[in-house]
Amino acid sequence: MIAPATLVLTTAVAGCGDDNDAAADSGTVTIYSGRTQNLIEPIFDRFAEETGISVEVRYGDSADLALLIDEEGDQSPADVFLSQSPGSVGFLDQKGMLASLPDDVLGLVAEGFHAGDGSWVGFTGRKRVLAFNPELTEESELPTTVLDLVKPEWKGRIAVAPSNGSFQDFVTAMRFKLGDDATAKWLKGIADNDAFTFANNGAIVAAIGRGEVEVGLVNHYYVYQALAEDPEFAAINHNFAVDDIGSVVIVTGASMLKSSDGQEQGVELIRFLLQEEAQRYFSDQTFEYPLAAGVEPAGVLPDVELGGSAEDIELDQLGGDLQSTREMIRDAGLEG
Amino acid sequence: MTQASRADRAPLPLRGLAVAIAVVFATPVAYVLWRVLTLEAAFSDVMHESMGPLWRTMQLAVIVSVATGVVGTGLAWLLVRTDIPFARVLRLLAPLPLVFPSFVGAAAFIAGLGPDGAIRGVLSVFGLDVPARFRGLGASCFVLTAFTYPYVYLPVAARLAGLPPSIEESARLLGDRPSRFFFRVVLSAIRSSVLGGMLIALLYSLSEFGAVQLLGFDTLTRVVYATRLLDRAQSFAAATLLLILAILAVSIERRMRGSLRHSAQPGLRVKAPVSLGRWRAPALFALFVVLLVSLVAPIASLAQWAWRGIDRASSPASALGDQLADLGAPLWSTTWLGVISAAATVLVVLPAALLAARYRSRLAPAVTGAVLGGFAVPGLVIALSLAFWALNVPFFDRFYQTTPLLIAAYVIHFGAQAMRSTEVAVATVPRHVRESARLLGASPARRARTVELPLMRPGLVAGGGLVLLSTIKELPATLLLAPIGLQTLTTRVWTAFEDGFLAEAGLASIVLVIASGTLTWLLVLRRVDHLG
Repeated sequence: MIAPATLVLTTAVAGCGDDNDAAADSGTVTIYSGRTQNLIEPIFDRFAEETGISVEVRYGDSADLALLIDEEGDQSPADVFLSQSPGSVGFLDQKGMLASLPDDVLGLVAEGFHAGDGSWVGFTGRKRVLAFNPELTEESELPTTVLDLVKPEWKGRIAVAPSNGSFQDFVTAMRFKLGDDATAKWLKGIADNDAFTFANNGAIVAAIGRGEVEVGLVNHYYVYQALAEDPEFAAINHNFAVDDIGSVVIVTGASMLKSSDGQEQGVELIRFLLQEEAQRYFSDQTFEYPLAAGVEPAGVLPDVELGGSAEDIELDQLGGDLQSTREMIRDAGLEG
Repeated sequence: MTQASRADRAPLPLRGLAVAIAVVFATPVAYVLWRVLTLEAAFSDVMHESMGPLWRTMQLAVIVSVATGVVGTGLAWLLVRTDIPFARVLRLLAPLPLVFPSFVGAAAFIAGLGPDGAIRGVLSVFGLDVPARFRGLGASCFVLTAFTYPYVYLPVAARLAGLPPSIEESARLLGDRPSRFFFRVVLSAIRSSVLGGMLIALLYSLSEFGAVQLLGFDTLTRVVYATRLLDRAQSFAAATLLLILAILAVSIERRMRGSLRHSAQPGLRVKAPVSLGRWRAPALFALFVVLLVSLVAPIASLAQWAWRGIDRASSPASALGDQLADLGAPLWSTTWLGVISAAATVLVVLPAALLAARYRSRLAPAVTGAVLGGFAVPGLVIALSLAFWALNVPFFDRFYQTTPLLIAAYVIHFGAQAMRSTEVAVATVPRHVRESARLLGASPARRARTVELPLMRPGLVAGGGLVLLSTIKELPATLLLAPIGLQTLTTRVWTAFEDGFLAEAGLASIVLVIASGTLTWLLVLRRVDHLG
């Protein structure tokens, strides 16, 4: 019984040692990343190489990390929080835990892609699409607007992920564009069409590929990832019309904590995420839309109205009103 | 008489230690209640909305508990007490389904039963057709039972391994048929282990998230997760309901099992297996079906994913080599974290078990209840509560996001799994044996080493084994509380899975299963006679 106790002590001591070493030269930036390691680590490595700032990352689910930061309060080790969805940054913003980012960083993206108060900046965009299995459904059959999915011919054919953040963000966007009444009616129509509910986008795309369900509302890049792993994967993205609410772009957000004592390094990191190299990586490797001005999306990505959506939708409010969105989804009978 | 009652009273240091243990284990509960009280929600609204999930949770928990009781006990008796063929190999395989992280197990089943899935393929060879959609209560019960029956199997097998053969023999001499004496004699001797295991399976079903989420079954734990950011009052209210269910379950089990002190007997004599006779073939078939469903089928799905990825690489062998090399560090951290946590957990619950099994103490139910209750709290809530306490209690902040705190989280979350086994183990040492050792003048340390520990070993090792397997696959607390940069096999599986890299997820899961199997054999099965 002595051996394990010793082991615990030595690892604890080793842990402290690491911290001291790291703080030596250009400083350290501690990141809580809702984006998984596979989809961002090369960029962190490049940042460390370029700036000499060492990077420490805790990976996890965006919502869980936001809750952890809230629990940690002023003592949070995190300098930067990267969220996969507006909901989690919105949560921390409402609690007043986020610092304002400098104007030159915010200015790297178009007006609609950062918070009005500067508390976060979008660094990639994800477009909503309708994924479908070409062996089960003809593309010509698919509608140009997401609103048509409530028509009777779609009964028992659609998959949605009502408890997933991306679907909730999309519904919130719909509320801003079409109003609560129209949105509630649409949700009810989807529920009445016996939509299948799944846990998340990945599960929907997998089920479409297996032929378990015909079409599903998801973020655009899941199909590309599935195809990268398995070229015979039986799913394709269908794009609604460019100006349709079904094609809305949801951003992933970078933010810095007020409690951070490494704000300088934090800003450096966020700026780096919006430089061409990182933006190109997100476009080419993870198939997302670059948001920084001057970086073109990868060729495989369909056109989006990156500037246009901002006119109608206050993207930075997406985070604030998610609770009523959730209630509307539940009241329509879509949860479960 | 007076002497007996004095001996029944627990010594003060033990009582003090037990109270300290209860306090530590109650920290997540205190956190949940604190949040419920400070979040100020209209409690009646919140409760009203939780009624559906509450009912579904109760259905799931009761069905899974009963099913694991039947499957786990049946397997344990067949493999430990009878002349079933291939017993050695099967005993190695039987505890393994516990190693699948539930989200992996559920996804493997969903994919395996899909149109071109591995499981569907095998079934169709036998002319069996199954529905392509695998969701809801039935699917959730099926998956949870398949992956959690070892909660019953391991402690019951350990208990059976320690029973004297005379139990079955005397019943047989009295003319009972095998089935009759199983129910009459064996079952009454192992009742406390069976009920303890069923309780753990039940508590597990309460707090399970990964599988029910994928299978679309809306339980209280799913409410805890779905509302965690947007409606925290609702989230903590659902967690409170889970705690109430846990307290109910623990008290019911306590009533049902009766006193431990009279049911337990040591096993010191040579064992002769029960002959199954013409039941050998059907029994073997049933065993194979259980292992096919809970071990072979999910592994086939995982292997299919892994194979698709490797097969497509330009040089499959080196791609496989690279990926495996990449899993080396996570494999090592998974191993030592699991082993230390298992040992620490058994050590920590031992005083509580001593108090509960050896002394007449009104304190004991509260202490064991606190330990058991921790298992009904979802891992995410355990992690958040430890963050809360570590950062708000002076001195402890230095441990925040260090290995000791992570291990503390594992101990608190999984202490329940070692609790009942340890109680039974402690009760296994009969008082007359302890008394004679004492009268012969052996020191307490010597008595513990030469008399008590050898007798308690099967139970302690089985309890530790359950904790080991659970720690290996733990996800939410590991993600939030581990020192930055520490990866386990399960966090790797999760990362790959989250991004839809099924090939990588499949390979890492298979490494996880092999590692858990090896560790279980080395550390658990080999150390208990007639278990490995």
